Amino acid sequence: MVKNGEKFKVYAGKDKEASLFMIRLRFARGTLLLRGEVGTPYGKWDPRVGCYRVKAMHYQDVLAYLGESRVPYRDEVPNLPPLQTLKSSVKLRPYQIEGLDKWRRAGMRGIVVLPTAAGKTFIALQAISQLKTQTLIIVPTLDLMDQWKRQVADHLNVDTGAVGGGENTVKMITVSTYDSAYLKAEVLGNRFMFIVFDEVHHLASPSYMQIAEMYIAPYRMGLTATYERGDERHVLLPRLVGDPVYTVDVEELAGEHLSPYAYEKIYVELTPEEQRIYDRETKVFRNYLKEKGIVLKSVKDFHRFIMATGRDRRARKALLARNRALKTALNSGAKLKTLAKLLEAHRDEKILIFTLHNDLVYRISRLFLIPSVTYQTPREERREILEKFRSGEYKAIVTSQVLDEGVDVPDATVGFVLSGTGSTREYIQRLGRLLRKVKGKKAKLVEIVSKETVEVRISQRRRRKRKKDSKG
Amino acid sequence: MLPSELLFVRRRKGRIWPRYAKLSSENLEVAKLLIEAYSRHVGEKKNVLKKFVSELEDMGYDYRFVRGLSVLLDRRSDFKCNVKVNPVELRRKLYQATEKLGLPTTPEQRNRIIKSVASELKLTSEMMEDSLYADLDSELVLADFKPLPPQDLLKNYNLSLTQTLLFTSTELSFTASGNWQRIFYTIKRLGLIYEAYRSGDFWVKIDGPSSLFKLTRRYGTALAKLLPAIIDNPKWTVEAKILWKYTNEICNFKIESWKHSPILKTLKTPTISYDSSVEESFATRFQALESDWRLRREPEPVPAGRHVIIPDFSFERQSVKVYMEIIGFWTADYLRRKIEKLKKIDVNMLIAVDETLACEKLDKLQKRGELSILYYRKKIPLTSILRYLEELFQPVKEKQASFVKNLPVKFLEPVVNYEEFAARIGVSTESVRTALTENPPDGYAVLPNSLVKRDKLKKIGKILEEQVSQTSRLPLPEATKIIEKEGVEDTPNILKALGYKIMWRGINPEKAEVIKSETQKTI
Repeated sequence: MVKNGEKFKVYAGKDKEASLFMIRLRFARGTLLLRGEVGTPYGKWDPRVGCYRVKAMHYQDVLAYLGESRVPYRDEVPNLPPLQTLKSSVKLRPYQIEGLDKWRRAGMRGIVVLPTAAGKTFIALQAISQLKTQTLIIVPTLDLMDQWKRQVADHLNVDTGAVGGGENTVKMITVSTYDSAYLKAEVLGNRFMFIVFDEVHHLASPSYMQIAEMYIAPYRMGLTATYERGDERHVLLPRLVGDPVYTVDVEELAGEHLSPYAYEKIYVELTPEEQRIYDRETKVFRNYLKEKGIVLKSVKDFHRFIMATGRDRRARKALLARNRALKTALNSGAKLKTLAKLLEAHRDEKILIFTLHNDLVYRISRLFLIPSVTYQTPREERREILEKFRSGEYKAIVTSQVLDEGVDVPDATVGFVLSGTGSTREYIQRLGRLLRKVKGKKAKLVEIVSKETVEVRISQRRRRKRKKDSKG
Repeated sequence: MLPSELLFVRRRKGRIWPRYAKLSSENLEVAKLLIEAYSRHVGEKKNVLKKFVSELEDMGYDYRFVRGLSVLLDRRSDFKCNVKVNPVELRRKLYQATEKLGLPTTPEQRNRIIKSVASELKLTSEMMEDSLYADLDSELVLADFKPLPPQDLLKNYNLSLTQTLLFTSTELSFTASGNWQRIFYTIKRLGLIYEAYRSGDFWVKIDGPSSLFKLTRRYGTALAKLLPAIIDNPKWTVEAKILWKYTNEICNFKIESWKHSPILKTLKTPTISYDSSVEESFATRFQALESDWRLRREPEPVPAGRHVIIPDFSFERQSVKVYMEIIGFWTADYLRRKIEKLKKIDVNMLIAVDETLACEKLDKLQKRGELSILYYRKKIPLTSILRYLEELFQPVKEKQASFVKNLPVKFLEPVVNYEEFAARIGVSTESVRTALTENPPDGYAVLPNSLVKRDKLKKIGKILEEQVSQTSRLPLPEATKIIEKEGVEDTPNILKALGYKIMWRGINPEKAEVIKSETQKTI
């Protein structure tokens, strides 16, 4: 392409002559482009642009291949923020040291499975301070973003960048949500060498897994308390992050580093009015199933039924009736009376109340003047409430599902569950919220369930599943 | 764009269609009911309004349709938190009071706390209860609503529905009648990749960088954003591949302007907008020439290797088509790359480069060159352009002239108008004129715009002469009347051929007079 006498200013720098024949490796919106007609492992010819294209996650492999083949190349991929000095004050417990060590020996890739509150964060912080490289920490919620930022400031002594929740600054250590990391993969993909995936089971979803594919970072660490997913998609994670390198069960740690907890279940009767509504709506639902000969045994059956509601108006009516029945049971007024008694009995202890529906959160908040935290709570207020709960100024919080994952709410000694969805992961993590070691104080979890309703079955399913999980 | 759970589609045999809301009286009635409800509920809480909406759902309309319309109306609404105290502030006070007085587990305890805070803030207990969660979404008050005609709401809904479906698309192909610069600018800005090809029409297929490795819905949102630019055209066709999440099946989706334009948007006549004054002034000046060349602004793109070039103008005349691109600020490198790109294409392309906008010194780059680069200062010179165009047209003209010459044709009519004749046999007027004047058929006189039989001409000459000898003067209208009566138009050229000339007295042709010319007759 070069014509006689013409000087093309394509390559700046000292090796101008050689570079004309050199392979150029460039980051192109979540992928790598190889200029120069050389195929590489994982590379695929892209006829649209006339270049070989590689997924960004194979960055290290491509470099290694080019290096071994002694092909001259120019790497224009990384666009890293400047390094800052870290001052680590992280002190690891023995099992954390072991976890970190296993991860390092696996080539600084892999997943560490530890129960909630076992200090996964510290393993990651120590890894960051040892690697001293540009790091992106990806978390599921804005609460967790705040929490990580605080942890990094406290233990590594540097400011963090943040992408998500209205913020958009990239620094040596940057915290982001899965959503933002996904949406901005095209521009963030070449800015970090190390990624920490907090609550890594989220990464296995069809869209989020593209984060792993579109970022170049060769070093990767996944953290979770619940590696396995109901949909089996966790089998995809080793390819994206690395294998599980270290696993510790709740039971192994309980008593030593975590408080043991007592579990109690209280059944309440629906009020006569609630029982009447419940029976009526349940009948509508059952009759429909019976008429159509539908059996709902598995989650898959249920999905098929939900799909049918999009086509069949009567199916939708049946579904709405079922939801009303469930809601009546979950939000029963009788539960509120029981809750009042429990609150009275646990005065001056730190209490967390969980419900499934926001309606009930606000009913409880209004009735007992307890601070509420839902996805609708303004961010500032949420921060303030959590902070004051942490410091002990507030003694109780009522919340729906936003605190489910990883959010650090230390020192709670009592938990009340007023409704639940029956999912294993949620259950374990909710427990985790309560398992804090407070001077010999035994934590307690109380579940309030309506008698003779579907809800009893959900609750039993939860327990059963958990038992099975902890055995296997 | 709607939340995905409101996507309302039909799927059959690998095809997928949104359930468009027809502009039927029934649907218009629902739209009207909703719009009126929003207008009526100004000043009311959102949950009251939403209760009305859900009642409408229970009346037998599909909830996805009703809620979809409601979502669109929400975007035209202003919901505000309408209380005197800041609810966050109020809650903080209550929580603090609770910490002092203990968690209330009986109504009496609760009342005591409420009252203590109420007196501190100088509020009534009711106001406290009302304000406590007044900032919740469902408690907000509809402060303002901008109504719209029911028809527009339905069309807006249909467009949103289409975009919502495109969220799940893996690729999109389209053809359109114009708007190319906006479309390609949008494609580039959204980080998408296109491939242009011809399949009858000029088609463009779009996906993104990662699409190479696997089917992905990642670019669906961007593709949906592109849709308005495409359908803001009189004619278009859009096809897309939809990855249906529940079955993991690829479905085909297709919409066409002739069928869907009326329900997707109001058809506005597209206004041509010029993105630079240079181009605007050029267009105006060129149109004023009234040349035989048809000028078109932003013609369809020209495929160039893997890319397309979107020229600023095209000039068309019969089979000859010439494109022109006007280049603003430029560097030698930019120009070189441009030329490389243009070399790959097989069309006539003229590049107009403003010399004064050069960003670096140029050593007469490509000033000759096989590509046609026209350097200009400030204004694009029309004469150079026309000369260039005529040069390109010359071979066509010559070919046609020889075609006309060899045409086995015998003229019978007394008058042969070049333009009409050219149109009849499908060549240019120019070539007919050239062919016939060079080698005129027997018995015909050659005039600038037509051939006229010599007999005819002589007859006209005689009548005119008689008229002059009778009245000794000949006004122009009179002469025109005589000539046109004989079936010949083009009075001035006939008069000239017969040795007359026109004496103008002002601009009014009524007052002009025909007199004998000093010069000889041309025949």
